[in-house]
Amino acid sequence: MPTVRLRDAAEYPESAQALFELSKSWFGYEFREPPAMSRVMAWDPAFGGPHGRAMKRAMAPGEWTRGEKEMVAAVVSGVNACTY
Amino acid sequence: MAGDALWYEAAHVVGITNALNTVADAFEPLPGMTTIEPIDEGTATGGLALVFDEIRSFYARSDVPIAFRLLGHDPGYLGDFFAAVRRAFEDNRLSRRLKEALAFAVSLTSRSRFGAPFHLGEMRRLGVSERGVIEVLGVTQMFSSYTKIADTLQLESDMRDIAPVDRSPAPSGRPAA
Repeated sequence: MPTVRLRDAAEYPESAQALFELSKSWFGYEFREPPAMSRVMAWDPAFGGPHGRAMKRAMAPGEWTRGEKEMVAAVVSGVNACTY
Repeated sequence: MAGDALWYEAAHVVGITNALNTVADAFEPLPGMTTIEPIDEGTATGGLALVFDEIRSFYARSDVPIAFRLLGHDPGYLGDFFAAVRRAFEDNRLSRRLKEALAFAVSLTSRSRFGAPFHLGEMRRLGVSERGVIEVLGVTQMFSSYTKIADTLQLESDMRDIAPVDRSPAPSGRPAA
């Protein structure tokens, strides 16, 4: 169980709703609520904003495809034993 | 990256990379510390010399990396272990180049003193540019952040349903009833 209460998207200010829309298009999946991580990152836009931009820049296709980078990300998550 | 086969291959790379790093990092020779002496390549004969030749050939280098020389005390074990390493890393559905990138990410994440420079060297040897290396570095770093944030807050996965299930059978096997 999370150590914090994850707020529903509706509890966030209007500015965060744009972030949630970006998150939806990033994953290409219709979540009932924005992913927990998106809601965590929207808590403090001064942190979540640049962190999210760095992530998108890192994941953008370059020498490696987005798919290949997703595999690298999955591997890192596995080694970190992260079930999220 | 659709289909389970790619992910089985990736998992094999992760596992065998961690296995290699575990031994190499634990017995890095340090002055005054008890260690396992790596086999001197010049003394290898018979089956061990043949395995060492295969290792040098696979990595296109003139020496055998220390991780394998440490295992050379049991040539039979080394032979089987290296066969698994070679199978995991050779071009298959995933390219060897990508597999080295995965191994580099594993080694960075597990802070392997052997693995990070070893797989960085392999990536470069296989033609990955500095930009490509930095891309892997960035993804590794960002997901080292996300995973720790998720763990600290003990977030429960809500991503499990976003990938379609692969219903194909195991290689050469039969479809599920």
